Parts: sequence; C-alpha cells; structure tokens
Amino acid sequence: MEALTCWTAEEEPPMKKIAFIAAMFGVLALAAPAQAARVEVQWWHAMSGVLGDRLSELVEKFNASQDKYTVVAVAKGNYDEVTNGVIAAYRAKRPPEMVQIAERGYMTMLLSGAVVPVQDLLEQKGYKIDWPDFIKPVASFWSYKGRMSAMPFNSSTPIFWFNKEHFQKAGFDKPADTWQELEKQLYAIKAKGVSECGTVLPGDFYWSLLENYSAINNQPYGTLANGFDGLGTEFVYNKTKVVSQVVRLKKWLDDGVLQIAGQGLSPEQLFTSGRCSTFVNSTASHGNIERNAKIDWSATFLPHENDINPPLNSTIGGGAIWVMKGHTPERYEAVAAFLDFVAQPETQVWWHGVTGYVPATSKAYALARERGYYKEHPTREIAVLQLSRGTPNDNSRGFRFGSFVQTMLAQRNEVEAVFTGQKQPQQAMDDAVKRGNEILRQFEKLNAGKGTEWAPESK
Amino acid sequence: MKASSPILWPEAPTVQTAPQSGLARSQHTSPGESAAGRKAVADRPVKARTPRRGHPDREPGLKRANFGRGAGLPTLLLLPQLLILAFFFFIPSLRALMQSVLLSDPFGSNVQLVWFDNFKALFANGEYRQSIVTTIWFTVAQNVITLAVAVVLAFATDRVVRGRSVYRTLILLPYAIAPAIAGILWAFLFNPVVGPLAHMLHALGISWDPNRNPNDALWLVIMAASWKHICYDYIFLAVGLLAVPASLMEAAAVDGAGPIRRFFLIALPMLGPTVFFLAVMNFIYGFFETFAIIDAVTHGGPAGATNILVYKVYVDGFVNLDLGSSAAQSVLLMTFALICTLLQFRYFDHKVNYGV
Repeated sequence: MEALTCWTAEEEPPMKKIAFIAAMFGVLALAAPAQAARVEVQWWHAMSGVLGDRLSELVEKFNASQDKYTVVAVAKGNYDEVTNGVIAAYRAKRPPEMVQIAERGYMTMLLSGAVVPVQDLLEQKGYKIDWPDFIKPVASFWSYKGRMSAMPFNSSTPIFWFNKEHFQKAGFDKPADTWQELEKQLYAIKAKGVSECGTVLPGDFYWSLLENYSAINNQPYGTLANGFDGLGTEFVYNKTKVVSQVVRLKKWLDDGVLQIAGQGLSPEQLFTSGRCSTFVNSTASHGNIERNAKIDWSATFLPHENDINPPLNSTIGGGAIWVMKGHTPERYEAVAAFLDFVAQPETQVWWHGVTGYVPATSKAYALARERGYYKEHPTREIAVLQLSRGTPNDNSRGFRFGSFVQTMLAQRNEVEAVFTGQKQPQQAMDDAVKRGNEILRQFEKLNAGKGTEWAPESK
Repeated sequence: MKASSPILWPEAPTVQTAPQSGLARSQHTSPGESAAGRKAVADRPVKARTPRRGHPDREPGLKRANFGRGAGLPTLLLLPQLLILAFFFFIPSLRALMQSVLLSDPFGSNVQLVWFDNFKALFANGEYRQSIVTTIWFTVAQNVITLAVAVVLAFATDRVVRGRSVYRTLILLPYAIAPAIAGILWAFLFNPVVGPLAHMLHALGISWDPNRNPNDALWLVIMAASWKHICYDYIFLAVGLLAVPASLMEAAAVDGAGPIRRFFLIALPMLGPTVFFLAVMNFIYGFFETFAIIDAVTHGGPAGATNILVYKVYVDGFVNLDLGSSAAQSVLLMTFALICTLLQFRYFDHKVNYGV
C-alpha cells in the first residue's frame, strides 16, 4: 500500500519502482490463493520418538487426502507439558484448535468449560460416525452421559510381556494365568538361576498393577461406580484385594524377584536386555520392544487372582483429542474433517499397526483380523481381546476421579513408603485413600455447581 | 544477587590496592606490563586521599557518587533495573499472592475466594511438614559440603604448580552442564542396577539403593546439587585468596606457620565476607534452583524423601494443577528464604570482617 501512495505522489515514477510494485503484486497474486484455499488448524500433542514420527505421518496423510484444510501437529513435550501449555494458551485466549490429553485429565477437561464435545461438533458438521461401534472400555472412558466428549486417539492397556527362553529353561511353557501360579514360576526361575530378576517394576505401576488389577479382578476402586455416578465418589481400594497386591509386590521386592529400575534407566531396558524375565507394560511399547529387544519375547494377558473367574476387562490408558472452544466455524470444519479421518477404520488399522495402540472401533479390529494382521503379529491382538472380554461392570468400566493425577501421585508416594519399609501395606493404603479423598473433596467443592447436571449414567 | 553488591564492593578495591597480591605479582613478571603496574601503584594514594579530606570517617574505597541536583538522572539510570524487578519479581510475586488465597480450576473458569484455606491446609498436611524438614537438611548439608570442598580446592589452587589453568578449568566445568543433564548423569552413575559408582559402593559392602532407601536418595541429590555448585563458590574463593596480602602470609611463614595454619589463621578470616556471601547464595541456590536436579535424579521420591519445597511447588502447580496450593507454597517459600537471609545478616554479618 505504501508503495502505491509513493507512486501517486510522484509525477513520473522511475522504472525501478514500477518493477518493484509489479513484483509485489506478483508475489501477492501467488500467495493469496494458497492462503484462501487451506484452513490451517493446530493440534498440540505429547508424542515423542517413534510415536511422534508416526503422528506426523498421520497428519501428512490427512493433509494430502484433501485440499481444503491443513492440520499442523505441534509437539509440546510430555502430557503434563501439553496440559500446562494449553491451560496457559486458553487463559491468554489463544488456545490451539485440538489438544491431546492423557486419560487422567478427563475430568479436568470435561468440567473446564473450555472444550467442545466432539460428538456434538461432528454431528453439527454433518459427519456420520458409528459411535456405538467404539470398543466399550474405550467409549465409556471418553464419554459423558453416553456422548463422546473427546476423540479416542491413542488407547492402550497393560499386557504381560515375558522372555520365552527364561520360561522354557525353567521348565514352563508359558506364564501362568493367575498371580498365585505366576509367583511360583518367578520364584522357580530365580531359584534355578535362569535369571536373577523375575520382573521389573513398571514406571506406571499404579496404572497397570493397581488400577487395572482392580478392574480385572472385579474390585471396586471408588464408590459411586468408580466415580461414574457423581463427584461425591470416595476411594475404597484400602478395603479390597489391592492391599494384598501391594503386600505381594513388597514380598517380591524383598526377595529380589521384583526389581526397581530407578532413575537414569528405563524399566523396559531391564526386560529387553534379558536381565528381567517378565514385564507388565502398555501394549503401546510394541514399537520399542520390537526394535530394542535382543531376546526371544512374547506377551500374554495380565494375570488374575485364582478366586476370580472369569476375569473382567482391563481399562485403557493413553490419550484422546479434545477440541477447544473459541474458534471460527470454518476452523471447526477443518477440525471435524480431521477427527472424522481419525475415526475411519483404515486410519485406525494403520495407526494400530505402526504403534501398537489398540484400534478404537470394532470395525477397525475386524478389518485388521480380516487382513490376517494378527497371524503375523499375535501379541498385538492381546490388548484388544483383554479390553473387550466380558461385559464391563461398575468396577471395570474405567475410572472417573477428579484431580486423578494428584490422587495417583499421593498413592504412588504411599506405595513407595511400603517399598522403603517405612509403612505397612494396610497403613499405606489407608493413608493413600485418606489423602486421595481429601483431594476428591476439594475437586467436588470446586465443581459443586456442575454436580447438579450430573445424572447417573452407568445404570 | 542484590545482596551481593554491598558485600562485594570492598573486595574489588582490595585487589587493586594490594600491590603484592597474586594478580599484581603476575603483572610484575611480564616486563611490558610492569611500568603500568607501577604507575597504578603510584597513582593510588593521591586518588584515595582526595575523598578522605571531605569525609574523614569514610572508609577508603567507598565513594559517594554525585549526580548533581534533582532526581531525574538517578531515576533514569535506575529505571532498567526497576523495570526488570517489576516484571520478573514484583508482578509475579503479586500474582502468586493473589492466587494463594484462591481456589481455582486450571482453566480459570471457576474461581473461589477461600482466604487462608490454602495455607491452613498446608500446615495441617504432614507431607508439607516433611518437605520443610527435608528442605532444611538438604540446604544445610549442601551448603556445608559445597563451601568445604570449594575452600579446599581454592586452597589447593596455589599449590598446583603445573597445569593450574587445566585444574581451574576442570573445576569450573560442572557449571557449564545443564542441571537436568547433571542430574541424569548422577542418577545413572549411582543407579543400583547398572551404575558403575553404585557397583563400587556395593563392592565396598555398602548396601546402596536410592530407590528403596530414603537416606541414600537424599544423599544422592545433596551430592549432585553440591557438585553442580562447587565451581560457583570456588571462583569467588579463589579470587578472594588472591586478594590476601602476600606480606601477611610471608610474615606468618617467617614466624614458622605452615601452609595450613596460615590458611586457617590468616586467609580464611580475611575471606569472611566472601564466605558469608557464598553461604547466603548457597541457601538461595538450594531453595530455588535445585528443582531440575531433583526432577532428574529422584522425582522427589522415594516416598517423598527428596521432595524439597521448591520441587513440591512445581509438582503441585504444574503436574497436579492445584494452583492455589502451589501459589501458597511459593509465597511461604519466599517468606522462608527471606527470613533465612535476614537471620544470616542479623547474626553473622557483624562477625564478618569487612575492613580488609
């Protein structure tokens, strides 16, 4: 514009200036249609390493599949950092359109008043998604009053990884189904000198060995259907088999059957290097284990207690894509198109194959089966089968506790006090429940107004 | 850093006014510089005498700056510093104070004024009291170790004849390493399963396991934090030692005092202001800057054994998203650090000899 006014002010524009202006228009002419054509939206995520690369590939696939929208994936660090980033951005009134949040942040996001429920958005934009087709523990975790609040993206569940050679050397075909039998096997493996470490404590043991243990063994974790029926929920796991599970872990630790990797070393390395015979960890570690393991490994279902039969489904972990409030309709068009792309069985199967996360829908699972994918990769099917076995009940549907990260850290702290020998398991679990309930009451107090619209949804 | 200026002031002139000090000595050894050195020595008495005529009680080296009348220029000169303080200290502190009396959800859509409930909850909380005790242990131990090792290393500097610059560089290296990286190094070296140093400890019959022994974990972070900070103390002490008049040391040597005795009876008392300043800085370091090391080495565990106040502020604010409590904790931590610093000035300051 400035160039134009200069030109009108002068009587005879020099040739250089005209050339310059022409060049400017040329640039504008080139740039303008490109800008108008594609609506750009941001997606902040927490995937790093191999998973981060796969996520970028997914976004590129979407961008290449159409010419109206561009999704820009931005890695913002780990889940905590992404959460903090989106909170700061929202408070500064510049949130991204989409953000990937871990399962523990569900209540915080749901009651934040800062999100648009994905099912509402996709229906409004006219996308037909087969919502009932989502695998039950996945759907129930991410939905509120039967409607999906966030798009399930990377759903995982813990499975039981083991070193085949160690079991064979100790004279066992495979790991036992029950904790009681498994204990005998692990002690035998150590006694026979096959390996000095039966199993390694996973970094997220509270998720795999306590929460999922509770669900699989049909134990209540909290009142009001683990929080699904209201904010007044209280933890009760100090009165269930979870206490005896902590007793078991402490015993294994004292006997050297269970080892803690500690900082500076990932627990996974102790398994993939062949030092520890078994490892309870997410199915999402398939990529890493396939790449790093120098051992003959396999995987199976998590064990259950011998007096619980049949065991229930396990619950999910991982993240979902939330849509943030405060954007223009055309940007929401782009968001809806992308979420629809993510929900497609083809996308799900591809993502399942390259990462190890479970396919979120039954159609995607059937498609993977049909193509014989599990004949080549039998361990990839375990998580799906474990998640979808039986009918989820109040104990296994999932967990809906406010400030779930905070209550988990308090619980981890108390379990560590058992490991260090400062507390007895029962005492530690009583204290963990007491601390957790204080946190739940604060969350309830803060969100009191929102409790009234809360209708029991599990019945 | 503010606390440093009144203490450091007298030091800078001492380096100049002591012609026998190491710095000046080294100038004499190089022939080109010797004339300049002598000139500086000759000039000094004249400079020092001038202010003394007007203010006979004024200490040498402390001069009054005169900007003429009016507050315009001083204000202008102070403005950048004041702006920095406002943006990086006063405004955030005020925000923290406000947040500390609120109960709010992370997205700020639901905010309740709860007055001092956040503070009351903290004092009723056993975990917080444990964190205070841990912090005291951590900062005191870190302070003592850092100073003690830095004093020994500084003392040894003069005795290292060959490769003194290599020696100094080696000592200063840890300062160039990011705290998180330093933390990971220490965590790995002392990891009971794979760490080489942990294996050495095991070979010596020490049952080292920071994952299951709270004391081991606390020692590990104390050592890591001290290691990272020794170089900082070392720089100040080594420079301070250069300012100790060689004539005094030589006189003591003639009287038959050995190097260690000379160090403790002459050099160390003369380093009083430096040591005092370093003690204050070490406390501030321990209180506020060690969180990356804790995060990398122990995550505050096991069972909260290394959960010092500043790490708890971080976890409650950024991981647990309990902003009110986190703000209340940071207000308390600030008050705590302020009281500590004031106490140090109140009780130790007048025992420190600044008149060197």
